[in-house]
Amino acid sequence: MVTLNVNGKNEEMDVSPEMPLLWALRDRLNLTGTKYGCGRAMCGACTVHVDGEAIRSCSIMVGTVAGGKKKITTIEGASGKVAAAVINAWQKLDVVQCGYCQSGQIMSAITLLSKNSKPTDTDIDLGMEGNICRCGTYVRIRQAIHQAAKSLA
Amino acid sequence: MASMIQPKARRYLPGLLLTAVLLMVSATAAQAQTSTADSLAAWQKVSSVLTHPRCLNCHQPNVPKQGDNRQIHVPLVVRGPAGHGVGAMTCGSCHNASNNPTSRTPGAPHWHLAPASMNWEGLSDRELCLMLKDPKRNGKRTPEALVTHMANDGLVLWGWEAGAGRESVPMPHKEFVDHLKVWVAGGTACPK
Repeated sequence: MVTLNVNGKNEEMDVSPEMPLLWALRDRLNLTGTKYGCGRAMCGACTVHVDGEAIRSCSIMVGTVAGGKKKITTIEGASGKVAAAVINAWQKLDVVQCGYCQSGQIMSAITLLSKNSKPTDTDIDLGMEGNICRCGTYVRIRQAIHQAAKSLA
Repeated sequence: MASMIQPKARRYLPGLLLTAVLLMVSATAAQAQTSTADSLAAWQKVSSVLTHPRCLNCHQPNVPKQGDNRQIHVPLVVRGPAGHGVGAMTCGSCHNASNNPTSRTPGAPHWHLAPASMNWEGLSDRELCLMLKDPKRNGKRTPEALVTHMANDGLVLWGWEAGAGRESVPMPHKEFVDHLKVWVAGGTACPK
């Protein structure tokens, strides 16, 4: 039995410590806003936060974040000033096309802006490098991050 | 004491002393030469491990490499201020403290790029040797501390348990540490 603190709530489940966190979130907790993309930590669709850091939940194992002390946040639980600014900018600029990668993009953008309140284009490109968008919405993603940064200033 | 020695023996004393001194000097020189030679031979073995992809891929200036073919890390991740990446792209974003059998992402405790002062890429054998024993560039380690680090550090040990899809360091870890000890005992000799 392992305990995961997800979106502020301790959740107990009988799963292997080697299970990818993604399956615990989607299949056990029904938090399906986090998407499965590649399963190899190569695309970023499964990005969630652990203590505010963006992590790929397909690659991070349940055992790595179990115990209840590490705070896991999914797109469903994203909140706070930075999250609100990012989500607002995403909506205003209509960033999303098909939308599959966007929960991961938003979670990464929140982490980026939490660490760097005024990122340059290069900061954004490097800091978001692990999130791929097959629709190619990168230009709007970048604009939205700049806009969110402005609204937070 | 000299007065206690018989006159006949006293006549031979300078010669005996000289012979003894010469023998001692010659023995010491031979020992030092052997130790240096041993140290140099051991260094070649040590160096063959340090330049293996499992070590060299993360002893990079700014961007880690990956795989046995030593390609640039995909997705691209850069050093950042603490050697752990930048923004939403940090080592811990994907790497656990152990290998992940599902995603096949390698993992070990404190997974990160080696400090910039410990970039080993592109160094000659001599440059690598000099860097390794330079406390200004090796994390302020004495030669003995280098042995301890390479014998016990979890991230170093990962090189011998690299997981599926990548070659572990072929030389057994104990043998590597033994060579390292010989290199240190012989005075951390470096090739010319």
